[in-house]
Amino acid sequence: MAAGVLITVPTRERGEHRPLPGFVTDLRPGAYGPYDRLAQVGRAAEIAGLGGAVVPFDPVGEESWVVASGLLRGTRFLRVVAGFHPGVATPVYAAKVSASLQRFSADRLAWHLTVELDRSVARAQGDFLEGPDRYARADEFLTVAKGVWREEGFTFEGRFYDVLNGGFEPPLSGGAFPEVYLSGTSPEALALSARHADVHVFTLDDDLDAAVAELDASGRDITYALSVPVLVREDDDEAWDEARRRWIAADPPGLVGSYATVAARLREYRERGIGAFVLDARPAVEETYRLGEHLLPLLEKEAAHAG
Amino acid sequence: MPVDIYWRIGTHGDQPSLRRRVSSRGEWAPVVPGSLAPGIRDGVRDGYSYLEHMADVARASELAGFVGGLLPSFPNTDDPWAAAASLARETTTYRFMVAFQPGFLHPVQAARMSASLQRATGGRLVYNIISGGGGPAQLWWGDKVAHDDRYARTSEFLDVLKGVWEGGPFRHDGRFYRVEDAGLPDHLTGQPFPEIYFSGSSPAAIAAAGRHADRYLSWLEPFAPLAEKFAQVREHSAATGRTPRFAVRIDVLARETEEAAWDEIRRGWDNIDPSVLEDATGDSIGWQRSRSFVTGRITGYRDLEVQPNVWGGFHLLRGGPAFGLVGSYRQVAERLDELVALGVDAFILAGVPHLEEALRVGDHVLPLLRGHGPRPEPSLTTATKGNP
Repeated sequence: MAAGVLITVPTRERGEHRPLPGFVTDLRPGAYGPYDRLAQVGRAAEIAGLGGAVVPFDPVGEESWVVASGLLRGTRFLRVVAGFHPGVATPVYAAKVSASLQRFSADRLAWHLTVELDRSVARAQGDFLEGPDRYARADEFLTVAKGVWREEGFTFEGRFYDVLNGGFEPPLSGGAFPEVYLSGTSPEALALSARHADVHVFTLDDDLDAAVAELDASGRDITYALSVPVLVREDDDEAWDEARRRWIAADPPGLVGSYATVAARLREYRERGIGAFVLDARPAVEETYRLGEHLLPLLEKEAAHAG
Repeated sequence: MPVDIYWRIGTHGDQPSLRRRVSSRGEWAPVVPGSLAPGIRDGVRDGYSYLEHMADVARASELAGFVGGLLPSFPNTDDPWAAAASLARETTTYRFMVAFQPGFLHPVQAARMSASLQRATGGRLVYNIISGGGGPAQLWWGDKVAHDDRYARTSEFLDVLKGVWEGGPFRHDGRFYRVEDAGLPDHLTGQPFPEIYFSGSSPAAIAAAGRHADRYLSWLEPFAPLAEKFAQVREHSAATGRTPRFAVRIDVLARETEEAAWDEIRRGWDNIDPSVLEDATGDSIGWQRSRSFVTGRITGYRDLEVQPNVWGGFHLLRGGPAFGLVGSYRQVAERLDELVALGVDAFILAGVPHLEEALRVGDHVLPLLRGHGPRPEPSLTTATKGNP
């Protein structure tokens, strides 16, 4: 079962210290680096009672397996979703790295396989595959990764991957395969999820109801998640003041409002089938604490009523 | 020139000693009373895993004076990237020598992982690049590229990795890789490029090493063939204009006295199945290789001592290569000094059990090293083979 409320880890932030004036004693250089900031985000999520943290696949951010490894090591309960693209590694190697992380973390790692990239971004990653082929490859990728994880003597001959007499031995084979997060609303994306997804992640722009109906019809037990930026404050005015300050002449990218307002909006999504929320709130440490103290209790209360 | 000394971390469990081939550290063997960090406590999963033991070995190595450790990668081991990234923030000076095969990762991904790991560790990542021995193991990994081509791929992999490292935009259209406007994001650039330890004995390997390796890494062998191998690498490297540097991976069994060290070997020897000695071919490359340096029938463990303190039977007492050093602290230090004299300026040492032996070797052997300093008294280097 997927974690109910997750935060998005800000991997584009430089994480370096703002320099102090020269006359102020600064003991940080050499003792702390950018990953100490990221670690703090993971700890905040753990302390604030969030279920998980998503480390997106982002070619202009930190690498997600490295970040995810550190977050898992620094927490005991947090589930960590590492986003990556099928072109970054062979499925056997992705599974092998993940088998270790599952052992190290008592099975708290999940995968978000990012299948669609903009053409130029994909090519900069060395990936020249286009169109529906990308989903065919992702399907093979997951089939091979699950195959070597679960079957000794696994052999596979496909369009994209071959394995001969592969498969992990204990103890690498003992753990749970990472939960698979997928996204997208094209027919190919939904077909892939119908075969492989544990969680399907939507954004505010997606045609949620149509996609949920189609995935429901597949018969697979999928948790639907909504990925959404949030800016919450004690009342609507305060939230909107902050939103206007941050996005001076533009619309804020997600949900803005009081704790109650945003909780109500999230409940509407719950009624439409959403079971998990991937929230993006910045700055991450402070806002994660805020979500834990003020928004989560309202969601839990509503979940209790609904139940 | 300073000498870098690493201490291996086992990524596949560990034995409490060389006396019995029983792995009781981590969950790599059935859990028995006395198993350490098996992940189970009172019948319930406790959230600990073999990683806890690896963390202890890393911290012990760091404290004992090693610059870091090699994290090996084989089909049935934990993964070095996963372990290094997990332990980054709980070590201070420890350099993670991550073993990996280029075929498993895309070079742009490897660049991003490496830059992130450099940021996570403050620049403590080192590469042990393996191009792969071929055979069934490569197909297990899903890698179909043939042996000599794997070295060509390694070269191209490193070309792309280095091409994107400083930010790009980098364009490449080669035999194995193609990228357009590739690069690292600004905040990941400017990290030190990881030092490269490169293995492989074939001409293709040596040619690839000549272009990219910072250090050419070899298992320990008797010193004469080892020196010959180094001479070949020097010769092949001459064309590239690079001066090769050499590293040797060595198991050590060092004790206060020579007798105590050999007694430890004897205890392990007494527990091996004698039929492995009768087997002319053996079941491992290590055994075949070591057998090729031993003449005559093997009637006792000292028959595998092919030169003073160089013993070719370690693979019989634990998984891994055949040769290692056995002797007193001083003898082991002297042999290491001799290797320094042959041009070696980095060692990856190992001993079983890794945790305790790291502390022992750090406390008792490393302080005796002289490197290029004055040689010890000749009487101390006299051959000791055949002593009881």
